[in-house]
Amino acid sequence: MKLTRVLVVEDDADIQKVIRMSLKMRGVAEIVLVDTGADCLERLKGFTPDVILLDVMMPHLDGYETCRRLKQNPATRDIPIVFLTARVQKADRERGLKLGALGYLTKPFDPMTLHDQILALFPEASSRKGEKGTGAEK
Amino acid sequence: MSGERHILDSLGSGLLVLDAQNRVEFVNRTLAEMLHMVPEDWVGRPAGEFLAVMARFALPVALPRFDWPEIFGSRDIEWRDGESLRYFREDSAPLSTGAGGAAGGRVFAYHDVSHEKAVDRMKSEFISVASHELRTPMTSIKGSVDLILSGFAGETSPEMQELLEIAQKSCDRLVRLVNDILDLSKIEAGQLKLNLERLDVTEIAVRAVCAVKPLADKAEVRLRVDRPQPLPLVDADPDRIEQAITNLLSNAVKFSPPKSQVSVELSADGEWVQCAVCDQGVGIAEKDLHRIFGKFQQLSEGRRRGGTGLGLAITRGLIDEHRGSIWVESRVGEGTRFIFRLPITAPHSPSTAALAGQVAKP
Repeated sequence: MKLTRVLVVEDDADIQKVIRMSLKMRGVAEIVLVDTGADCLERLKGFTPDVILLDVMMPHLDGYETCRRLKQNPATRDIPIVFLTARVQKADRERGLKLGALGYLTKPFDPMTLHDQILALFPEASSRKGEKGTGAEK
Repeated sequence: MSGERHILDSLGSGLLVLDAQNRVEFVNRTLAEMLHMVPEDWVGRPAGEFLAVMARFALPVALPRFDWPEIFGSRDIEWRDGESLRYFREDSAPLSTGAGGAAGGRVFAYHDVSHEKAVDRMKSEFISVASHELRTPMTSIKGSVDLILSGFAGETSPEMQELLEIAQKSCDRLVRLVNDILDLSKIEAGQLKLNLERLDVTEIAVRAVCAVKPLADKAEVRLRVDRPQPLPLVDADPDRIEQAITNLLSNAVKFSPPKSQVSVELSADGEWVQCAVCDQGVGIAEKDLHRIFGKFQQLSEGRRRGGTGLGLAITRGLIDEHRGSIWVESRVGEGTRFIFRLPITAPHSPSTAALAGQVAKP
């Protein structure tokens, strides 16, 4: 499997750049960056990425709420979501995964392995999808 | 008691005295008002009836077990009265006759600690928010440095490479420090949630050894697990016990000379499963042993090797939360053994474990 299109939802411009370079280095062709949860919902109209990298702490619409809305919408619910967040506590992780995310990665991340860490989440997701038919619930 | 009644009624704290027959001997005005009752109505009545009234307000039920006559107790309880929620610390002690002998009764004092609880909560929230906020700039710094070091942004001179590696190492240390502060604040605030499972500590030790192996390989230190007999199962949180063993192993590796060995020795007796992490390193001077589990009490060698100074404090906190015990044995020049024990009998819920931790013999 190869990641070709990634939507990055991150409100910190510097971290956006690091994520973009990290994915570009590993050959991801299309990396779309948005700053907010609302922009994420908007950008997904007519655009289906291989995965959404989603920050949690963002103003107005946080990552959890964005994820919840994406999973409720039939048009977006099958797009895998991977949280990439500074919220490292167990309860935060459990909350993210309960919302149907494929994975939960924490900051600071290693830009050299970010791409592989995201890819590594996929085999489990596909088997779960087969079982439940609703995407990558954990 | 009646002579001192006006003094005891003037106290800001609630006061209850039960006699040797487990009957109410005295209730001061403050506690009576908390319970909306007339104190005189209660003298001589069974403690159980009093308990039933108290249970309408207090959680957990406000009387500790009456069959602990020799033990001083202290615990925090929630006090709900309509819309109002306050926190009280209940201290209890055996009632002395004053002549050195025990009368068999018990005295309970209720202090309002709502303000302390609020301050504690604010402190924990601050640490939690600060740790999240610190992660954002650390992510940018670490990410940028890692990418430059990878050669992605072009070639770097050997001097630049060396300086960037210093920045990278320091950033990694900062991340560990933030993680450790967050962990320790949770432990100290009693907010660590243990996910208890019935488990074999051997499996956890093997996992910890795998996690530390890259560090050990780099330091040319051999790791091994010794388990002479199968271990009884314990009720413990696998992630937290792995964190404890990993902390001890990382420490042991850091202080071990190349070609030496670090071993995890597992054993059990009727009551405990014991895990000892043993190294053949420099050892710890006797004068330093007493402070080894303190916060930021690392010896200078530890600081030089990139430790945060919180690892052992966290490890002790994790073991305490499991109602276990931990200690250290060491000889300079021969090596060090960190030993912890976990009870084989199932621990109670974490809140009960925390309560047990607060109860001390006089």
